[in-house]
Amino acid sequence: MSNDILFLAEFVAGTAARSALELATGAAELAGQSGGSAIALAYGPGAAAGAAGLGAHGAVRAIVLGDEDRPAITYAAATVAAVRDTAPLAVLAPATPNGRDLAAALVGTLHVPAFGPVREARVVDGVLETEQSTLQGSVITTARPTDGAPSPSIALVLASTFAPAEGGTASAEVAQAPEAEDSAFGKATIAESHEADAKVVNLEEATIIVAGGRGVGGEEGFAPLHDLAAALGGAVGASRAAADAGWIPYQLQIGQTGKMVKPALYIGAGVSGAIQHRVGMQTAEHVVAINRDPDAPIGEFADLFVVGDLFQIVPALTDEIRRRKGS
Amino acid sequence: MKIVVCVKQVPATGADKRYTDDLRLDRSGVEAIINPLDEYAIEQALRLVDDGSVDSVTYLSMGPEQASEALRRALAMGGDEAVLVTDPALAGADEWATAKVLAAALDRLAPDVALMGMASDDARGSLVPGAVAAMRQVPMLSYGAELKVGDGEARVRRLSATGFDWISAPLPLVATVTDQVGEPRYASLKGIMAAKRKPMQTWSLADLDLPADDLAGGALTRVTDTRPPEEKPPTERIENLPPAEAATKIADWLELRKLI
Repeated sequence: MSNDILFLAEFVAGTAARSALELATGAAELAGQSGGSAIALAYGPGAAAGAAGLGAHGAVRAIVLGDEDRPAITYAAATVAAVRDTAPLAVLAPATPNGRDLAAALVGTLHVPAFGPVREARVVDGVLETEQSTLQGSVITTARPTDGAPSPSIALVLASTFAPAEGGTASAEVAQAPEAEDSAFGKATIAESHEADAKVVNLEEATIIVAGGRGVGGEEGFAPLHDLAAALGGAVGASRAAADAGWIPYQLQIGQTGKMVKPALYIGAGVSGAIQHRVGMQTAEHVVAINRDPDAPIGEFADLFVVGDLFQIVPALTDEIRRRKGS
Repeated sequence: MKIVVCVKQVPATGADKRYTDDLRLDRSGVEAIINPLDEYAIEQALRLVDDGSVDSVTYLSMGPEQASEALRRALAMGGDEAVLVTDPALAGADEWATAKVLAAALDRLAPDVALMGMASDDARGSLVPGAVAAMRQVPMLSYGAELKVGDGEARVRRLSATGFDWISAPLPLVATVTDQVGEPRYASLKGIMAAKRKPMQTWSLADLDLPADDLAGGALTRVTDTRPPEEKPPTERIENLPPAEAATKIADWLELRKLI
């Protein structure tokens, strides 16, 4: 076994996903603790050209698994082969659908310890140690592999667990992937691709999120939220109720079955704060809630709870922020 | 066309669970339910029966004997039969051991599609479906907002970064679906009565020719510490203020924290 830390680096439409930059920095941090190197497993459109650029965020080496636009799971065999070849101490995967799929293929093939989704990861005493928020955020558990457990340890890492190092100029040494065996995972293909009507942002990359819930009342009710998000330089998100009602695309849903986000500021307007939503945003640094129900569950865990009509308060807040920003 | 839906019994959402002094999760005295996200997999399977593209639905669960209650509840929603794999050697099984057992049971049941929910309420790694697919060496289609089967293949409609894709793979395979497939149906009184007469088998590890030693070693991870989350200051409340004044207070609050 080496002391290296591998990480999955997904490329989408020609550029590295935010998760790839975060994990590059995270893997470099862990590699510093283990005495190894941070190595990227780069896949997806743009991976071949962009892999070297991960060096700026901490990767020493980048193994390109493939450059094609195909389902991430089809890179499973190449991922397994690269992990066998490099025998790392740990593999960091983003806690996203694609990251989970590839991590699952690793666990099912290699029978290795798996952690996650984790909000912290480090190397202590030569093994991976992780922290996870469980039981609806009421307990933080620390976990490690059992003594004698096989390597590598796999961790599903939540968005914003690591902040990508900026300003680096180093280049990662690009390597071709080792030969992989044929795998049934490779048989999945994209049969049809459909673009959404409107452009959707990746909420995992937003540092400020203004989220709307059932209380927003309809598609047009999101207009003041968009204005507030624009004034703050943030993005708009939603609870499942709002996405189910068709008021907003599912890509913008936050929660157990949507995106897991960790912005610096989360503002919930007309969001009740059900458990399923809460698990997707409870690690936000600051939580502001605006709700006309003084007993809404979100009032129990928000940092600032404003009881009132969002259709009056949100536009007034937008005006006030614009005034203070002088725009 | 045969579907096996994997069902897990979990403690009720939000139920009072705690870690004991020796760092084990104490679920005693907690109400058990079907993992809520598995109900969407059940619903998707039954919709495929309704539209004629699937002939039979079998439920498969691994768990203690009481997990048969979850299977009865699933049968009350619809479907044909159920299998519970239960064995004292399986207490404390991790994802790998769970996947190993489900894979062995699925080898027996030989469905065209092994269908699962996208995550479990009490272990949020979502690793079991992919691990089962790896062990059975079949393709996997995951996170479907909708599943279709026919002509020797299955397809899922899956959210992409900018819209959605239909992703297809040849049968047999493992698939997972999300809560976008549609609200799970309620069990009717007729369904509940009918469920009592539907066949339910119980298999042990020996029935699966799966030596307990193959699952030995137990869990590969252990909890070494638990602590409460970082202490947060109590919630500040703004109430009974005109909107403009409330807005000023919120802006002050944000500015103090350098958020604007």
